[in-house]
Amino acid sequence: MRIRVTVNNTIYERDIEENRTLLRFLREDLGLTGTKEGCGSGECGACTVFFNGKTVNSCMVLAAEADGSVIETIEGEASGGMLSALQKAFEEHGAVQCGFCTAGMIMSARELIHQHPHPTRAEIQEGLEGNFCRCTGYEQIIEAVLDVTGGYEPKEELSYV
Amino acid sequence: MLDTFAYKAPQSKELLLDMLATGDSEVKLLSGGTDLLVNIRNGVYHPKVVVDLKKIPGFDAITWDKRAGLTIGPSVTINAILTDVKVQQHFPLLCACAKDLASYQIRNRATVVGNIVNASPCSDMAPALLCLDATIIIESRQGKREIPIAEFFTGVKRTVLRQDEVVTSIHIPSDKAGVQGVYRKLKRIQGHDLGIVGVAIANFGNGARIAVSSSAPTPVVTPLLPLDLSVPKVLQAVNAIIRPISDVRCSQEYRSFMVGEYTKRLWKEVIS
Ligand SMILES: Cc1cc2nc3c(=O)[nH]c(=O)nc-3n(C[C@H](O)[C@H](O)[C@H](O)COP(=O)(O)OP(=O)(O)OC[C@H]3O[C@@H](n4cnc5c(N)ncnc54)[C@H](O)[C@@H]3O)c2cc1C
Ligand code: FES
Ligand code: FES
Repeated sequence: MRIRVTVNNTIYERDIEENRTLLRFLREDLGLTGTKEGCGSGECGACTVFFNGKTVNSCMVLAAEADGSVIETIEGEASGGMLSALQKAFEEHGAVQCGFCTAGMIMSARELIHQHPHPTRAEIQEGLEGNFCRCTGYEQIIEAVLDVTGGYEPKEELSYV
Repeated sequence: MLDTFAYKAPQSKELLLDMLATGDSEVKLLSGGTDLLVNIRNGVYHPKVVVDLKKIPGFDAITWDKRAGLTIGPSVTINAILTDVKVQQHFPLLCACAKDLASYQIRNRATVVGNIVNASPCSDMAPALLCLDATIIIESRQGKREIPIAEFFTGVKRTVLRQDEVVTSIHIPSDKAGVQGVYRKLKRIQGHDLGIVGVAIANFGNGARIAVSSSAPTPVVTPLLPLDLSVPKVLQAVNAIIRPISDVRCSQEYRSFMVGEYTKRLWKEVIS
């Protein structure tokens, strides 16, 4: 079938197979490979994108369902060659290591900040519970979100290091 | 890769019922897709046609009326329940269960109706709906039937639904508004996970009911228990409805023990 979707403010019209997931459509048909496939079944959150303003696991959405919808992905996060404040905070806090979770993590973090402009640590943990990171141990990610929302208190350097 | 199937999105309930009328088992309904698409991916289902319910106007409605009660449409998501002021105000137990279901992104898609039709023993919405005596409204070209939720589940992932039928709403009677309740779910990790056991308790003022998930082939609920019942008697009532097994998540013994533990704690917290 033919679908028409707006992705990061660009309108795309494509013929798709009806069993195609939104994730595969974004990555393989549109070449937007920033969004990752980890588990393909809703567990890991690497595939998180905005679908009509709400975060979803794009591995569990059909591209066919997205006909007429508005999608936002990690490729729309930076603008004019400048990282967003959230991306910058991730960079500064070492919240990106291998980077596989980062696209989904940034999407969920953006939604979380939208829901809670000044989130507590617990609200951050809950908002990001659907996004797994196998590298950072989460602490740097939590600090990055706290920093960008004004809740970050720098730790003292360990004197013996 | 998903199997090949055709995608249909009827624009009205009438068209939907027509599509289902032949009772073809190769037709599958799609709501949030968080169970269906995983099952297709894992080869549990091989549908030829997937019928999306979300384009039908009105299916996403939550309606509350002092006399008529609460009606939840088939496309109502878990996050829609959690953010609905009327539900928060009148049905706190629904919100308590909804909060514990999966992760934020999944709650943006997963529906209450999909959770019930999926009929998993570890359904998180079933305990609240069982305590609150919800009715499942089912329609087909043959007509409409209303089934109490306790009779809707017939076994692990099995319900009374026929192939030509669709759940068109879930109804909670108005006399259950204001019932206070708590849900406690034991998981392997603090983040999102299916339950090892889940225990819900609802206080009706003249008695209480306890519902349990992940501890029998279907989610189960006790009859109304007097508020002055002793804790051992409460445990007896709960043990009478559960039939725990050992599985990948834990042993039968641990499951039984934790149902008892949670029951004791919740009874103390909410009743005595
Ligand atoms: C990673 C992950 C974590 C999860 N965690 C939890 C959890 O913690 N607790 C929990 O309870 N569940 C959990 N689930 C399961 C699932 O998210 C829920 O059961 C959800 O509520 C299903 O709703 P849905 O709208 O996505 O259903 P769908 O997948 O769209 O449908 C489920 C089934 O019901 C049928 N169906 C849907 N709507 C209707 C209708 N109106 N009439 C007739 N049949 C219909 C479909 O054909 C399908 O067989 C999890 C799933 C995933 C992938
Ligand atoms: S790839 Fe979608 S949740 Fe893991
Ligand atoms: S940075 Fe590697 S998974 Fe998160």
